[in-house]
Amino acid sequence: MFSITVIQLLIFGSLVGTALGTVTLLCLLYRDTKRKELW
Amino acid sequence: MNNYLLSADVGFGLLAFFSIVWISYGFYLGRKANDLDGFMLAGRNVGLALGSATAMATWVTSNTIMLAPKFALQLGVWGMVAYSTASFGLFLFAPMAKRIHQLIPKGYTSGDFIRVRYGNFTWILFLIISMVYSMAWLVSMGMAGGIVLEALSGIDYQIGMSVILISCVVYTIFGGLYAVIGTDFIQSIIILIGVVTIGVVVLNQTDVSSIYQKIEFERPELLKVFMPVALISLFNNMFFGFGEVFHNNVWWSRAYAMRESVAKKAFGLSGLLWLPIPIAAGFIGILAIATDVNIVDPDMTGPLVAASILGETGAIFIFVIVFCSLASSIDSLLAATSDLLTEDVYKKLINPSVTNETLRKFNVYIILGLGAVTWVFCFARLSGLIQVLFLSGPLVASLIFPIVCGLYWKNLNKKIINVAILSGSLVGLWCYFNLGWFTASLASAAVSFAITMISAKISPDTINWEEFKRI
Repeated sequence: MFSITVIQLLIFGSLVGTALGTVTLLCLLYRDTKRKELW
Repeated sequence: MNNYLLSADVGFGLLAFFSIVWISYGFYLGRKANDLDGFMLAGRNVGLALGSATAMATWVTSNTIMLAPKFALQLGVWGMVAYSTASFGLFLFAPMAKRIHQLIPKGYTSGDFIRVRYGNFTWILFLIISMVYSMAWLVSMGMAGGIVLEALSGIDYQIGMSVILISCVVYTIFGGLYAVIGTDFIQSIIILIGVVTIGVVVLNQTDVSSIYQKIEFERPELLKVFMPVALISLFNNMFFGFGEVFHNNVWWSRAYAMRESVAKKAFGLSGLLWLPIPIAAGFIGILAIATDVNIVDPDMTGPLVAASILGETGAIFIFVIVFCSLASSIDSLLAATSDLLTEDVYKKLINPSVTNETLRKFNVYIILGLGAVTWVFCFARLSGLIQVLFLSGPLVASLIFPIVCGLYWKNLNKKIINVAILSGSLVGLWCYFNLGWFTASLASAAVSFAITMISAKISPDTINWEEFKRI
């Protein structure tokens, strides 16, 4: 049976991962815009 | 508020607002799409930010948001994890995208590769499988749009479906792949922020340890580590995902559109971005048990639980996320499938001497026609069409190894590759009807793999890689 720790890791990990993904995309957008490498 | 989570006025307001935003932005980006390369492949110079976002957003369909909670409710922890394995298709496509760039620098479609690599018979076979799959995906997305918007806000199915479809067709016509990729970026940011916000607010109002105890008491099977059916379905979904990503022009056209130095990183990053989303969306399904929400329709688990905890605000978030995930997939399918029809069917089969200017115009008519056909199927609301999407799983799974091996291995017997695709498809379909859906893609991929290996040994034909440079 999956322990509560595994469940917590999955839930918190997925939320942190999704949040980090958002920040990464926005940072990349800033970098590409600055370097004129968007398109 | 009747029986709906949102009032129809709010639903119409959101629908109108986002449709206007997408169309205006698509129109703005359309200034760049002057020539064929601009319209079909966004100028072949897409950077890392836009490349990663478009691959991720396309792979987030309404199913990711709506089915992940249902999977979690029915299959427990494995349900959440099983869905997220679809991201492996993006991870594995990353090195292939780089290889595609090196091998076929001037290519337009996945059909270009198959035609030169295996000849006309395999190419036609490939086009049939790809068109069946793409149309089934497109129609199922259109239908899902109408059904979900109706269930959330009471907007009539025909109206909701038509607005989503028409707005996607209009901005894709104005801006081609520029519009698709540009809107995908905004849509992916909205989806990511929406999923995190709902997750954090829901977590803030619930207690994981008491939820765990309640599930342990009421539905202990959802916490089981060893669930053979769930494990088989996990691998089946993974191979269905491989087949979808490896063969479909949605992904190939993005590989061509990205800069060579960016393609591998962008697909790898998009897989990482996608991986946690089904888990973040799926855990809301598990909450359904703890919160005692009355789930009449399992497909609506996510919205019902979010709305029961967060009220109307939660329903608005779900509405916007679902709309963005639908639009990001429908526009990509419209653009990529119309490219396949324009390049592979019209130019290669009907009118080889056509100019790029004419093709650019023709592509617009194809998008319009594709939109019209999809609308007719969606309007008829044929539930059997959803079945076609699942049936196409074993068909696309039979293409995995012919494509992967064809990209890297010089020596493969072309005739035996046809046998691999046909046998894999037939065995997969047989398994679908006789053993269960969760075995079909696995069986198809296994048979196709074995025969592809044989094709490398028995009087193999040798390809000259330089032939791809002439495309």
